[in-house]
Amino acid sequence: MNNTMTIWTRKFMTNRLLQWKQMATDVLHPGKATVPKTEVPGKLVKMYKTTPHVTFVFGFRTHFGGGKTTGFGVIYDSLDYAKKNEPKHRLSRYGLYQKKNTSRK
Amino acid sequence: MAAPVSAEVLESDLSSAMALLKNLQEQVMAVTAHIQALTKKVQARAYPTEKGLSLLEVKDQLLLMYLMDLSHLILNKASGGSLQRHAAVLRLVEMRTVLEKLRPLDQKLKYQIDKLIKTAVTGSLSENDPLRFKPHPSSMMSKLSSEDEEDEAEKGQSGASGKKSANGAVKKYVPPRLVPVHYDETEAEREKKRLERAKKRALSSSVIRELKEQYSDAPEEIRDARHPHVTRQSQEDQHRINYEESMMVRLSVSKREKGRRKRASVMSSQLHSLTHFSDISALTGGTPHLDEDQNPVKKRKKVPKKGRKKKGFRRRR
Repeated sequence: MNNTMTIWTRKFMTNRLLQWKQMATDVLHPGKATVPKTEVPGKLVKMYKTTPHVTFVFGFRTHFGGGKTTGFGVIYDSLDYAKKNEPKHRLSRYGLYQKKNTSRK
Repeated sequence: MAAPVSAEVLESDLSSAMALLKNLQEQVMAVTAHIQALTKKVQARAYPTEKGLSLLEVKDQLLLMYLMDLSHLILNKASGGSLQRHAAVLRLVEMRTVLEKLRPLDQKLKYQIDKLIKTAVTGSLSENDPLRFKPHPSSMMSKLSSEDEEDEAEKGQSGASGKKSANGAVKKYVPPRLVPVHYDETEAEREKKRLERAKKRALSSSVIRELKEQYSDAPEEIRDARHPHVTRQSQEDQHRINYEESMMVRLSVSKREKGRRKRASVMSSQLHSLTHFSDISALTGGTPHLDEDQNPVKKRKKVPKKGRKKKGFRRRR
């Protein structure tokens, strides 16, 4: 199977206030279904030479007609900053946080 | 040898030949004297070239070698030899090629060489001399750079880096002073403006464009161009996309917004454009007719307050 997934990043910005580097990621996957969120951080890690536990991606929307998906990517300076600044639902996607299911009553 | 010629031709030729040879002899003596003077000067080290431009030195040497080979060939030819396959000819050709390749380099250095010569001749340049102006990249760097500048060297794609936190002293915001202009646009002027806008819109409509293509001599272009009229919906979409990408959030789309988008996309994807033509009455002077897709001027009906307060009554457009 030809691995034709290409990733472009746009609007790259280093945000010192949140200690992250943010970017808009364009994933090109002509002829294939939308690429799952779990595969994209791997490619970003290779592009920016970081570690996988500080790269988070979210907000993927596929354009009409298929072939192109746009989302956002965020690379933290360290895992401590990631745990501090990242919303809990995104951390739980990567297994760094577990929501406590306390009973309501 | 040449065919037997008449004596008159020989005589005239002889006198001109004698004159030329005498001229040649005089010039040769002058040149020899000049060269001997130069050689003495060079041997007395009056022209030190170690700290000079190496390009000029190369040119010097090449020209000298060229002269030597050329004089050798002249000597050869004068004593009756032939130039066929002489080694000096090949050397001359080679040197000539090199000199010609050096010529554009020479042109590029012309400015610098002129400047150097001028400084050497006049001592120093005046304050307003245009030769003194050169770019100062160090004065373009911001002097307010803090330590953040060093560790922002990114590999990979680098977009706009984050704003510097240390931006100097915080200054008080002074709002811009805008000069108020008197507004006295009459109804007639408004009408005229409307008409002009309608004319411009009509000129870029498909009917007029096809007429133009029919009567012009230019070749027919088939282009995958974007729609010339940016609709409000497309502008709003673009605004939304820009906001989402700069704020890194995804905005939710309300039902009304979805309906509007669907209507706009359906309208453009149908065969509507084949049968409905835009209004060119602004150019023809007729009465304007509105197409079904264009939103007519909304007349706001007075909604009775009683109806509004009714519970459960919700009008969704």
